[in-house]
Amino acid sequence: MSGVIKNPRNGCALHGALQTVQEIRGVVPIIHANAGCGVINYLSALSTGEGRGLTGGYNAPGTTVQERHVIFGGASRLREQIKNTIKIVNGDLYVILNSCESAMVGDDVEAMTREIVEQGEPVVNTLVAGFNGGAHYGYEHVLADILRSVYEVKKNERKTDETLVNIFGIIPWKDPFWKGNLDEISKILKAVGLRSNVFFGDNGGVEDLIKAQNAKLSIVFGRWGELPASVLETKFGIPKLLFPTLPADYKDEKELIEKISELVSVNKEKAEQFLAKEKKYEENYRARILTDLLDYDIGKDAAIVGDEETVIRVAKLLKSTFGTEIRSVVLTDVLKHDEDHLADYTDDIEGIVSKVYISSDQKEIEEILKASKTEFIIGSSFEKAFAEKRGNAALDISFPIYDRTILNKTTIGTVGEIGLIEDIVYAVKKYEWNRKNNLVAYIRNY
Amino acid sequence: MGKKIGKHIAIYGKGGIGKSTTTSNISAALAEAGYKVVQIGCDPKSDSTNTLRGNNYLPTVLDSLREGNKIHLDDISVKGFGGVLCIESGGPVPGVGCAGRGINAAVNVLQELRLFEEFKPDYVLYDVLGDVVCGGFAVPIRDGITDRAYVVSSSDFMALYAANNLFKAINKYAPTGGAKLGGVIANSMKPGYHREIVDDFVTKTGTSIAGYVNRSLDVQQSELYGKTVIEAKPDSAQADIYRNLAKYIAENENLVVPNPLGAAELRDWARSWGDRIYDIENGVVGVAEAI
Repeated sequence: MSGVIKNPRNGCALHGALQTVQEIRGVVPIIHANAGCGVINYLSALSTGEGRGLTGGYNAPGTTVQERHVIFGGASRLREQIKNTIKIVNGDLYVILNSCESAMVGDDVEAMTREIVEQGEPVVNTLVAGFNGGAHYGYEHVLADILRSVYEVKKNERKTDETLVNIFGIIPWKDPFWKGNLDEISKILKAVGLRSNVFFGDNGGVEDLIKAQNAKLSIVFGRWGELPASVLETKFGIPKLLFPTLPADYKDEKELIEKISELVSVNKEKAEQFLAKEKKYEENYRARILTDLLDYDIGKDAAIVGDEETVIRVAKLLKSTFGTEIRSVVLTDVLKHDEDHLADYTDDIEGIVSKVYISSDQKEIEEILKASKTEFIIGSSFEKAFAEKRGNAALDISFPIYDRTILNKTTIGTVGEIGLIEDIVYAVKKYEWNRKNNLVAYIRNY
Repeated sequence: MGKKIGKHIAIYGKGGIGKSTTTSNISAALAEAGYKVVQIGCDPKSDSTNTLRGNNYLPTVLDSLREGNKIHLDDISVKGFGGVLCIESGGPVPGVGCAGRGINAAVNVLQELRLFEEFKPDYVLYDVLGDVVCGGFAVPIRDGITDRAYVVSSSDFMALYAANNLFKAINKYAPTGGAKLGGVIANSMKPGYHREIVDDFVTKTGTSIAGYVNRSLDVQQSELYGKTVIEAKPDSAQADIYRNLAKYIAENENLVVPNPLGAAELRDWARSWGDRIYDIENGVVGVAEAI
């Protein structure tokens, strides 16, 4: 079947892998693909405020494969590029990202990598051909492949750290709030005496990849991230804990801490104190929106578009806070039948939502939203624009978000929960306010 | 593409079945009859035109493309026996790169060099690796490059399997302007049941025989001297076989879209012949009785 897919938002596996490694401090990507693959990734990221950095933007090293490399093989071009990159760009780990072209031509990238590793350089490779999957697939596979190989190419010593926990499933860029969400998870774990291995952003880096073998536990939020956690489980016996979503509220935080404490020793006293504080925090702010709730009939019904993790988390929150009827949801990440993951969160969605759709086609998504006959749409900037055109209230929390800068805002834990409630109330009040003003203006002009 | 200059004919066949030998002898026979002929080898082995040019070295199109310098027609072509213009597309070393894309790129280079406008051939023969393993090897029969294809096959089942694959490719591309089939060149024919097998295959697939080429020591001997039979043994019966074949191909306008056999159908058909051959070879029945 062929047809036009409008605005497929997430990019391909290579893009997902590139975004992932670009946010690990010390990692230098080497893209073995035509020039367009890297450039498109940068240009699309640019408008969401991402994509910069030492090896970001146009600075991402790559082989810029041309026709002659397809015909005669691109391995020697790759060898040249690895050597030049190591000479010019300082890095702690070089990750070769193999594209569709490399896969189809059958370049022996493994041999190239071995050759450079034998010369003492820290290089690993991963096959993230776009025809294998989307950006979420790329995130998982590049992490898994790095964790499979990094201990052979970097000096390391394994020593289990009883308080260290690996965090998987928060995908840089694909979760627009990834930085704030990583910080928030770290905050929650720190409060009960644990330390997080987050890999990405200011608090992450290549050292986190090395330290990952020392962790006592890996936590995977959502479907994506199970693969790297499984690599650590097989290689080092580190157990993994799977959650359908990041913690949406106090209740989820409590459950998270309880489940962790079954596998890792947590400071019980600290945990109780922390949870009591979180409970109070949530109750306090929830009480403060009661007036708005009554005045505005907020969140009567809604439709949500985004990644599976976000959709389940936000749907749950809407239901528990406002009693919202979730008319329909569209998942934009799990696009095909998934047999690669143990995790199956179908029941979690179907328990909350009347209709679940899967699509990355903006045209189809808009038709679904139209048919849902809801007044409130939560999604990306695409859905926000569509909602505003139709005169619906809207909130953008899914990728891509074009019209605001997100630095360290979080949407998880009690802080993120209250922030989200604030945003939801704001979106509805703004919509009502504009409607009222338009009416007043109309009467005055009449 | 503009108006085609000359008749463009693709000749396919399983590796080692004798398609380069056959193509070169057809080229030589056409040249001998006074036509201007181009033969383009579309096989990474790049030995299609060896017997037309006395085994002399000829840089391939892709060798020149790899160098990255500007390519001139003179660098990649040489005139062989009877003025046949010999060209080899070439390809990557075995096990590396993508030969299919290479064929595609080589044909593009020849078009960019305005080969046909410059040389003004009467006939252009493309000698193509015949398993049609990927889209690249189907280039000569699609995109309007040739309008007719022939397949060289012996009575060997693997050769007929390759022919059937070519039929599938023709079947796919013909409706959108690709080449049609001119016929099957039955090669390495020996006395006995060999002709009948190929005859049965063409009947089953709705195609026809372009000519029968007997297995002959003249061919092997000529090749050892780096020559076609037409050049080395012009008075032999074998040379006449090639002349007749060349005449047929030059004049034949009966082009068809074949009906390739399905996988199970082909297997059953091969099995039924296998049983009959077994009986013949073991003397259970005579040849006439078996076929």
